[in-house]
Amino acid sequence: MNDETKKQINQRYERELQRGERFWPDSIFKDVIVSLAIFIVLVLLATFIGVENSPKADPSDTAYIPRPEWYFLFLFKFLALYGQIPVLGKIEWLATVLVPAIGIGLLTLLPFIDKSPWRYYTRRMLPLTVMGIIVFDMVLLTLVADIPTVSESGSKLPGILQAVMGLAIPGLALIILYYLAYRRGDDNPVAPMLWTSGLAAVLMVGFAAATFVATPPVAKTEETVANTLIEQISAGQDLYSVHCVECHGDDGKVEKIEGVKGLEGKEISPINSHDVLYTLNDAAIAEIINYGRPDAGMNPFGKAYNPEGLTKSEIDYIVIFMRYNWDDRFEKPVMKPLFPALAGGEVPSYDVHIAPIVKRYCVSCHRAGKDNNNFLMTSYQEILTTGDQADKNLVKGDMNSYLLQVIQGQAILDEKGEELIGVMPPKGHLPADVIDVWIRWIMNGMPQTAEEAAALYVPPTPVPTPTPAP
Amino acid sequence: MWKKAYEWLEERLGLKALYDNLLDRPEPKGNWWNTLGSASLFLFVIQGLTGIFLTVYYTPSPDHAYDSIQYIMNGVAFGWLIRGIHHWGASLMIIIVFVHMLRVFVTASFKYPRELTWLIGIGLLLLTLGMGFTGYLLPWHQMAYWATTVGTQIAGSVPFLGEFILKALRGGPDLSALTLQRFFAAHIWMLPAGLAGLIGVHLYLIIKHGESHYPSRDE
Repeated sequence: MNDETKKQINQRYERELQRGERFWPDSIFKDVIVSLAIFIVLVLLATFIGVENSPKADPSDTAYIPRPEWYFLFLFKFLALYGQIPVLGKIEWLATVLVPAIGIGLLTLLPFIDKSPWRYYTRRMLPLTVMGIIVFDMVLLTLVADIPTVSESGSKLPGILQAVMGLAIPGLALIILYYLAYRRGDDNPVAPMLWTSGLAAVLMVGFAAATFVATPPVAKTEETVANTLIEQISAGQDLYSVHCVECHGDDGKVEKIEGVKGLEGKEISPINSHDVLYTLNDAAIAEIINYGRPDAGMNPFGKAYNPEGLTKSEIDYIVIFMRYNWDDRFEKPVMKPLFPALAGGEVPSYDVHIAPIVKRYCVSCHRAGKDNNNFLMTSYQEILTTGDQADKNLVKGDMNSYLLQVIQGQAILDEKGEELIGVMPPKGHLPADVIDVWIRWIMNGMPQTAEEAAALYVPPTPVPTPTPAP
Repeated sequence: MWKKAYEWLEERLGLKALYDNLLDRPEPKGNWWNTLGSASLFLFVIQGLTGIFLTVYYTPSPDHAYDSIQYIMNGVAFGWLIRGIHHWGASLMIIIVFVHMLRVFVTASFKYPRELTWLIGIGLLLLTLGMGFTGYLLPWHQMAYWATTVGTQIAGSVPFLGEFILKALRGGPDLSALTLQRFFAAHIWMLPAGLAGLIGVHLYLIIKHGESHYPSRDE
């Protein structure tokens, strides 16, 4: 750029300043309004949407599907699409290093590449359309980021559609744009370039829509994360009830294991004792649950050592549950009841009442791989249909249902007088209100959802208050 | 009384000169797109302030990072608000800095005499992305841990230097306490220091050359 052009540019700017505004107060005024608006938006987002929580990092959980922050999703998708290209796709660093490096390099050196003094939009069609296509592609790649490249049936169609959308069309458009710009020399062909980029954009949107139609995005796996202390204690109690109760008992008092295959008669230290709780800190207890103490009879429960194992977060919840229940240095907060109390005549439902009860008291044994007469209780369907005595376990409206008998201390005997089903739970009793829930549920037809249960509600006949005799 | 105080300060600080040079400047006619730069600066300040509050309770170790954030969210008064603003501010800052870059690109404001302002601006954009990348690991939850595992792996695919870069980022072959510690250091000291320095130069250049005007047909 020669001095003459520079002088022209500077004079031009002086003229613009003459008919411009003052930084204070004109520009500052707008800046302050925008900043204020941003602050309000942030407070609203923080208040009403909050921050998504995820379980604690667990290096042993290699099945976890990684997902970067949203502003890196386009790169993530780009790499996935690039990896599909035959031959070239195997040379990873071309996409991970070379392409981003070229992109950032071009962007950085932009003032030294685009040295023409022209600033008006129609005179800069090439940079504008090229940037437009690239930014548009980034947006679309971000949008389709959650759509897998291989569909569930193993078809590669979604991947191909996405590659056409994200790589082929924009790539082709860029080539055409460069060709148009260089064929005509300095004279920018505005219309053809706009048509090219417009057409490319429409095609890209079309293919993006096609990928959405062909394969809906994978639903994100819902992870339940206990956020408050109360939720954590209760999550810990549920996990404890499933994984630990068999050996340690529901109060952690057990000193000699009974009724567990392979560990019968093993002597263990009661985990609700001062010995354990005062001398082991949270990290140590978590490690014992994670790695186990095989010689002392404790199995490892960490995900790395046990296929049905617990994640780091889940182990932490169990430790929190132990602390707040048995460690007298911790004050247990007021816990929510396991299920909402029933009013007179109200019918409990599986979703609201039975599911948490089953999780707390039954699933520990009544799940696959345990000695339970094949009676599994992990879902509504299983409770109704499984078990060696499936037809007699739960019978609608029958007080003699086996389940109701055994939880009320009546063992089921066969013709020879031998015990067919023992009392449940084998050790201890269910609380009276839990037994009441079971009776009401079975007697009223075992509804699954809260709505079904509400439909069965019979308002209790009001007891007439005896009028005092005069 | 006020006049006296003002005169005393004016004599020592040169407030008038400051006002004349910084605030009472002529500018070309602007519009709302011109506020994106100051919005980025505002977000940088917000992120700095909320970040400082967060460090009061945050512990950068694998054993405590997750729990300390749980505590910020549930135990600390308004901790959820501070963290929420920091979390959303990060996303918003990325968007605004990027759109600011696009605006400058579209109006060709990077041309003479503002080439250096652009160069520094790209540095700011990259540092902002770096802040996003390092900050994402700090909560030490599953998403963060595995995203960073993959992110550092990608950085490690550089030919010849890859192994070195990977180890330098992670502080060893795997993600560990060292990784968290150095991401934390980068997130609260190195990158913000770089950002603050570059922002200073960026602002100086803007005051020196003035904001660019919107181009008209003959330019």
